[in-house]
Amino acid sequence: MRPAAFVFAVASLAQWLVPLVGVWQHERIIARGVAVRFECAAPDPYDPFRGRFLAVRPAETMVLAPEGIAQSADGANRIMVPVWATLVADEHGLSHIKSLSLEPVSGPTVIRLGARLSGETNGAKMVMISWPLDRFYLNERLAPDADRLVAERLGRGKPPVAEIRLLDGQAVLTDILLDGVSIRETVKQQAK
Amino acid sequence: MSLIHHRWLAEHLPEWEREGLVTPLAATVLRDRYRVESRAGLAQMVVGAVGSLLIGAGLIAVLAYNWDEFPRWVRLVLAFGPLAASQAVSGWVLWKNDNAKPWMRESAALVQTLAIGAAMALVSQIYNLPGQWTDLIFWWCVVAVPLAWVLKSDAAAIAYLFGVAVWTIAQAGDRVMGSPALDVADVRIWFPILLAGILPRWPGSDLGDRPQPGSRLVLAATALVGLLAVAAFASGQQGQLTGSFTVFPWLAMLSSAVVLLFPLDPDGVAEPLSRKPQVVLGGLAMVIMALITTYEMPARELVSGVEPAVRLGWCWLLLAVLAGFMAVAFRQGRFAVLAVAGLALVPPLGALLSPSGTGGWPVAIAYSLLLLATAIVLIALEFLGRQGAARIGAALITLLVILRMADADVSLLIKGLVFIGIGCVFLGFNVLISHHRARVPGGSPA
Repeated sequence: MRPAAFVFAVASLAQWLVPLVGVWQHERIIARGVAVRFECAAPDPYDPFRGRFLAVRPAETMVLAPEGIAQSADGANRIMVPVWATLVADEHGLSHIKSLSLEPVSGPTVIRLGARLSGETNGAKMVMISWPLDRFYLNERLAPDADRLVAERLGRGKPPVAEIRLLDGQAVLTDILLDGVSIRETVKQQAK
Repeated sequence: MSLIHHRWLAEHLPEWEREGLVTPLAATVLRDRYRVESRAGLAQMVVGAVGSLLIGAGLIAVLAYNWDEFPRWVRLVLAFGPLAASQAVSGWVLWKNDNAKPWMRESAALVQTLAIGAAMALVSQIYNLPGQWTDLIFWWCVVAVPLAWVLKSDAAAIAYLFGVAVWTIAQAGDRVMGSPALDVADVRIWFPILLAGILPRWPGSDLGDRPQPGSRLVLAATALVGLLAVAAFASGQQGQLTGSFTVFPWLAMLSSAVVLLFPLDPDGVAEPLSRKPQVVLGGLAMVIMALITTYEMPARELVSGVEPAVRLGWCWLLLAVLAGFMAVAFRQGRFAVLAVAGLALVPPLGALLSPSGTGGWPVAIAYSLLLLATAIVLIALEFLGRQGAARIGAALITLLVILRMADADVSLLIKGLVFIGIGCVFLGFNVLISHHRARVPGGSPA
């Protein structure tokens, strides 16, 4: 085999492997992960490669800082650090952050997040949370209607609910729900 | 002799050989000495590349529409189908080897490159993966660049360089802006590695493949922009910790000097300035930054950034590379580019020599004088028969005088008369240098 043909074969294999590894990881989380729901906001922006999406913003962004997070004296607090959050569900089935840890913890409802020291509230140190899910892709015909629907509901104090699957601290956003129904279905119903 | 003259000579040599004006041996020697790059099929290549670009961009747009009526497995087939088809076409082109026309190689490589991006974008869309579109680019570039090597595709190489530059800028932006992204890559490590990914294409395994002029421009521009982004990243990294972002200007100067002084072989040194975009872009960036530093406040900030900069490993790496490049340039007698690159070494000297409390004035004045000296060197080298840039030197002096006159506390009448005088001298110099070049046999490269 010529060297060029060998390099081409390896490159072609890698071109399949990179996306397929992503497919395998996320299919595994969807199939075996625990379903978790929480309130969020979701305006409608655009990605040049992947089209329209709802920019998912979980409601919980400021929480009590975990023990041992860097203090401001050395400046390290300005950099986002990984934390592991344990989620618990309330009586409505919506999840909230129960605790944060700087060390990896195990459990079915643990999710890896980013955290940065943000200041103090009532004397307690708080961190700003960065969630590993920020977009829910929609068909470009549905996205404007979905955006309008979400805005109306947010105005009435009824935010949408994001449904995710969790496995080994990794998350996949599977749906956005309005009154327990997928936003895709709701928008399609309204369009009829 | 310019490329136009080379081409004219190449076109006339067969006729002169037939007429017996030159011997076949002399014609061969002339062809070797005044080489002309092949332009065969250039239009075909451009049209092929544009067509491929449209097909690939259309593919991405069709997939970005989001076919959410279909189940996931159907959408995955949609993502991987075009990739498989484009791989088959590229494999066929590769199998044809030398029988494949250049436009075929370019088109196949570009379509496959875009099909990879479409597949990755669709997988990302199906699973609602977080992050900006620029996050996709890293793996896209890594798995696509071998196509530039094996299919000898300039279009794929250019796409790769653009991708690497955009990804590096995005990572630097995330670091400077304190983005909430958790996993910002350290581009001080990754950018040089990714840039080295182009080496199997240019100069290639036999060290003989030189990029065409357009590709050279892309290569020089992306290298410069990428290095400036890395400087911003290093500055942002330190700024996140200290709250001070002052190291960027000096790191940017060092980066520009490295691009400006990039070593060339003797043939490359002899080429005119218009064929050396790294010299034009690196030199331009360097002169613009030096001109800004002739003002007190930027000069003060530049000097204040030296002390925190020397605590960075990236700064020392740049200094080491610059020292090596300077040594090579000195041995090759490239004194004009050395004079301009030397402007990057003023800030540490300023930080060492200027007494505390004097602000930025010593360095600002030093930059004015050094720019003047550099301009004189550029002019003098040309009159001494070396490789210089007299017109650029004259333009630099004119710019300096204009800047100093603009902020001088004199009446508009005097400013106006001085500007008219400078304009006349500049035009007169232009005439003088044209006469000088006409007298020199063969002319000197600009």
